Amino acid sequence: MRWTGALLAVARKELVDGIRDRRSLVTLVFSALLTPLLLGVMLTSTAGSARGAEDLTLPVVGAEHAPDFVQWLGQQTGVKIVPGPADPEQAVLDRQEDLVLIIEDDFMVRMGRAQTADLKLVTESTRERARPKIARVRALVGGYAGQLASLRLIARGVAPGIAQPIRLEDVEVSSSQARLATLLSFLPLLLVIAGLVGSMQIAIDSTAGERERGSLEPLLLNPVPRWVLAAGKWLAASALGCASVVLSLIITVNVLRRIPWHDLGIRFRVSDGELFSLLLLILPLALFLAAMVLFASTFARSFKEAQGYLGMLMLLPMLPGMLATFYPLSRRPWLAPVPVLGQYALASDVLGGQPPGAWLFLLAGVSALACAVLLVWLTARAMSRERIIFGR
Amino acid sequence: MIAIDGLQKRFGDVLAVRGVHLTAKDGTVTGLLGPNGAGKTTTLRMLSGLMRPDAGTIRVDDVDVVADPVGAQRVMGQLPDSRGLYPRLTAREHIEYFAQLHGLSRAVTKERAARLITRLGLETIADRRVAGFSQGERTKVALARALVHQPRNVILDEPTNGLDVMSTRAMREVIRGLRDDGCCVMFSSHIMQEVSALCDRIVVIADGRVVADGTPDDLRAQTDRDNLEDAFVLLAGLEHDHGASA
Repeated sequence: MRWTGALLAVARKELVDGIRDRRSLVTLVFSALLTPLLLGVMLTSTAGSARGAEDLTLPVVGAEHAPDFVQWLGQQTGVKIVPGPADPEQAVLDRQEDLVLIIEDDFMVRMGRAQTADLKLVTESTRERARPKIARVRALVGGYAGQLASLRLIARGVAPGIAQPIRLEDVEVSSSQARLATLLSFLPLLLVIAGLVGSMQIAIDSTAGERERGSLEPLLLNPVPRWVLAAGKWLAASALGCASVVLSLIITVNVLRRIPWHDLGIRFRVSDGELFSLLLLILPLALFLAAMVLFASTFARSFKEAQGYLGMLMLLPMLPGMLATFYPLSRRPWLAPVPVLGQYALASDVLGGQPPGAWLFLLAGVSALACAVLLVWLTARAMSRERIIFGR
Repeated sequence: MIAIDGLQKRFGDVLAVRGVHLTAKDGTVTGLLGPNGAGKTTTLRMLSGLMRPDAGTIRVDDVDVVADPVGAQRVMGQLPDSRGLYPRLTAREHIEYFAQLHGLSRAVTKERAARLITRLGLETIADRRVAGFSQGERTKVALARALVHQPRNVILDEPTNGLDVMSTRAMREVIRGLRDDGCCVMFSSHIMQEVSALCDRIVVIADGRVVADGTPDDLRAQTDRDNLEDAFVLLAGLEHDHGASA
């Protein structure tokens, strides 16, 4: 092609210029690293507290007042009874203990009279990681009480079912894979952010930055059509955007593979095929995002001004991703041709273990690319405006 | 060869350029002289093809700039009002970038860059990033990249603006060299000494119009002043002791 040389020259120059900008590289690596690591820490600690509920160490004050009950507790799987602290409330406040069970000294007396005996569970409700433990203790106490109630009724010649008019049973239908998908619904959002952050620096610097330095006018004096310049800048921004997406995905997957999923009751299984599908989905989107930032920044007179615009613009592709965490976009293939939304929808199907057809991937990719090309063309047109060339 | 005829440009209510006519021949240095705000830069921007005139024609080596700006840019080298360098690129990279945009081959690019670096005395700083360059060094880099495709028509907007004595001298040498090579050199200035030291022909612009056009001697004769600066002040209508000069 006639303009290939000039196109590559522009792309190469912008890449060299962008990579020499330490600020941009630091942002890129930082954003690619930070989010997955943060996420890993979060999920690992959730897994830790779930394990804490299964292997429950329960401090009990006044165990001697209810030897039968305490013995029963100690026999339940994973439960270990330890003597409680002298001042239970202070110990929980000081975070020495997550919870303490207190048995009143009239426990046996009231039991013997078939009255209601009191237990106290000292907790601190703001402590997130203590919640699974509290739930477990409640369930254990409830179970013991239920057994006793049945025995008392039987002893009085009453069928236990009389006192339990309704029984609720949970029937879990979501597959382990679907539960994993809910947990992984942040992944497309993460990759979209990575694409934006990766391409942003070059996209801004090669448009708004070019205007700020006054280098746009000399650049446009070269006998090269505007679309070639715009496309070269777009290629450079896209290259870094895609690199950022790939880097981010590699790091995230490696972090996720190290999380103790079995403690969360989930089998983590993301195949290489699924990761590849995810990349095929997000990379064309990264090209679209680069074009979007490029176009918007062309209207800014300086780097700072562009960052101001983009602060708002960035929300646009991120919002559906955040919403998708609450309202899953899965099983909505008609969204495919809408850039951003389509990618979120298809990605949640991929991660949900129900990969959509190849033609949907193609549709989403072609649509994102077409929108990107349109934006690059609009950028080229904006670069011919006198107000943009000379307005500083 | 540059031929401008009946050029007009309006910004809102202001008619910045109102009918500029001029011709700049090959092998001569033509100075565009005028006070600040006279319309020099606007005229040069229209000549560069980046600004569309409201009326009039511009031809560079018989290429119509308005109809075929890209074709005209191929035969022009321009040092625009804003030098606009990239702080993270070296001087050599600047020159090579523009050479590639002009479609020069890799070998020619290397050779031209090396020659321009020698010609403009940039040898010691050629491979340094331009972030720390002085005003004179920046202007040289901007000039070098404007000349990399060996244009027959060279247009310089205030080329000696902000330069010290040595840099100014070097710039004058380059301009004379281009003229001796047979180029059509056109530059704008509001400094009388610049124009009188270099120009074979002077076009005085004031208030968006050409008010005088000729050799330095013509202008002195036309205004009956021995001093070119007095002639300029009179022609540009900067003093109102002499009514209608246009």
